Amino acid sequence: MTSSAPVLPGQTRAEWVRRNLFPNWWSGLTTIVLAPIILYFAYRALRFLFVTGQWDAVQVNLTLFMQGTFPRDEQWRLITQILIFAFAFGVGLGTNSAASYDRAVDAGLDVEKGSIVETLTRMWSLVAFIALLLFFATTDDIGNFINPFLVVGGALVLAFIGYQAHRFPRSLRNLGWLLTMTFLVIGFQVVSGFDTGGWVPLGIIYGITAYSIAPVDRFDAPWLRVVLRLVAAAVVVFALRAIYAAVDSPGIGWDEWSGLHLTLMVSAIAIVLAFPLGLLLALARRSTLPALRIMATVYIEVIRGVPLITLLFMGQFILGFVVPAGTVLSAITRAIAVMTLFSAAYIAEIVRGGLQSLDKGQNEAGQALGLAPPPIMRRIILPQALTAVIPAMVGQFISLFKDSSLLSIIAILEFLGVRKIIHAQPDFRSVAFAETLIFVAIGYWAFAFAMSRESQRLERRLRVTR
Amino acid sequence: MTTEQNPQSYSDATQAKGEAVIELTDVDKFFGDFQALSDINMNVGSQEVIVVIGPSGSGKSTLIRCINRLEKHDRGSIVVGGIELSEDIKNIQEIRRETGMVFQSFNLFPHLTVIDNITLAPRQVRHEAKDEAEESAMQLLERVGIPEQARKYPGQLSGGQQQRVAIARSLAMKPKVMLFDEPTSALDPEMIKEVLDVMIELAEGGMTMIVVTHEMGFARAVADRVVFMADGEIVEVGTPEHFFTNPEEERTKLFLSQIL
Repeated sequence: MTSSAPVLPGQTRAEWVRRNLFPNWWSGLTTIVLAPIILYFAYRALRFLFVTGQWDAVQVNLTLFMQGTFPRDEQWRLITQILIFAFAFGVGLGTNSAASYDRAVDAGLDVEKGSIVETLTRMWSLVAFIALLLFFATTDDIGNFINPFLVVGGALVLAFIGYQAHRFPRSLRNLGWLLTMTFLVIGFQVVSGFDTGGWVPLGIIYGITAYSIAPVDRFDAPWLRVVLRLVAAAVVVFALRAIYAAVDSPGIGWDEWSGLHLTLMVSAIAIVLAFPLGLLLALARRSTLPALRIMATVYIEVIRGVPLITLLFMGQFILGFVVPAGTVLSAITRAIAVMTLFSAAYIAEIVRGGLQSLDKGQNEAGQALGLAPPPIMRRIILPQALTAVIPAMVGQFISLFKDSSLLSIIAILEFLGVRKIIHAQPDFRSVAFAETLIFVAIGYWAFAFAMSRESQRLERRLRVTR
Repeated sequence: MTTEQNPQSYSDATQAKGEAVIELTDVDKFFGDFQALSDINMNVGSQEVIVVIGPSGSGKSTLIRCINRLEKHDRGSIVVGGIELSEDIKNIQEIRRETGMVFQSFNLFPHLTVIDNITLAPRQVRHEAKDEAEESAMQLLERVGIPEQARKYPGQLSGGQQQRVAIARSLAMKPKVMLFDEPTSALDPEMIKEVLDVMIELAEGGMTMIVVTHEMGFARAVADRVVFMADGEIVEVGTPEHFFTNPEEERTKLFLSQIL
């Protein structure tokens, strides 16, 4: 392990060099041998970066990297998506920081109140990546009819406006979350379209909301409450279906997505779908019903024993036999299905680890209070188990994000796959391979690193009360 | 290991004074081949305070854990508040709602604030409204002497405070019987008194209690009857006075000589 030694107060530069580079004869010798080698490689690297590197391969193809083969005249949808996501991000951040502020104040803990600036500092890798994009964008004149600086500026302004949700009174926290989720779905559907079948995500969100906030407390009979809750949920869901049926404005389905946009979306969709599936698998594996337990175990162990790339190929050929005849599944749909099913098995094992790490006294305390098994699981066990496995879980999400690059092998043009188009261009047929690769690597790293930082913060915040 | 019992001390002291709230008849419990409880017969009357003592591994904890089915007994019958424990989960949950339990290691829910720890069961099980549940929770916190800690997390409290929260959490379900499983064993010495004081107050308020403990002072002061267990059997039952001044069984004498 190396770590940079700080210059101690009252220490001159010469002393620092002597103490850290030449403390004794063999360290001094190592320094003398290694220093020229390191300097030489640094020189070569810098020369490549600033002199010999053909970065125009990235520069002129920036739009291609971002959106790939996505129809250029529909680019407004992507821009709108960025802006709506930025707003949703702001609202979520504001609500979250206000909620943790409330908790800290109540419990008399040190107050940690976030802000947009603080968040951007934490996610500096993403900020740096966007800065790099903007740097390249200054000279990219291919297919850009909207100034990228305006998009980034607009996104920041919208995030800031959304962040004002932290001023909501406490009673509106859940509204803040509801707004966040609503705008995430709308942002997604600005691209994918508000067609007739698009009611499902908002239907689930608002159905559950209606079920849980339906004012049924004045009725004593438990069955009546459940019935009324279900009626409320059904009304909301049918209303949403009617709205979507009335709007029915098709967009660009994911079969036409590509580039970094596809990479981010595929990862996000697979994460959102794999998490609940993995949770159910973990619970099934601990079930007392042998059939359920065996099925979950077999599924998890089979999936974990097969490489993802194999499953992706199998998905392209075999999934067709499983689904009803006549169903046409695009390559991207199959890939998303395989990535989801794959990640779910890993998430299940992570969650199971979390469940096992809990003291059995927690379960007993719940039982002794007369709670039924479902509320014990939901209110006592899962919140603690999931908190305990945040680092492992985010690690899995980061793997999933990076593994999405395997889609380029099954001829899907995501972030890495876009290079195939670029190097098919006459200008870059046999040059600048390293430049495009490095750019792609920086892109993956920027997002993965931001996720990792976020997981560390989440872990710290949720453990603050332990 | 002897199975014979002294009929005299048994007959006058095993029977509860009033109407029995808990009746254990011929209860056996095995962990694999190991017999943790053998032929337990015991009645607990309404408002009675029973203190169970005995060397470690004697089955004291197992005994009270069988009463609310945290452990399943293998033979015999256990009746709580007129309901016999059976396999039926509804029946088990009904009994658990009638019996509060306080654990040696508190077992508070670390992810919930004190007040949420207390209101969880009333809201989930009895569907009490939030305000209503929090109001009764605050009254309970007043009673155990820590209302100012309501919005804190268990991890921020001392052991004694945590155990008092655990008592309040059990009381929130308005149980007819309270089971205490070595409630002060995990506490630093200076915190034992604050928990015992709450328990004494509870006993004086007429709560039916079974307390597994090593606090002989508590047994002397509060117990209606003291039960001595060894090797999974009830060896001797008697009033505290009888028990501490004039024990009859050899094993009881040996145990008392070791701890007093």
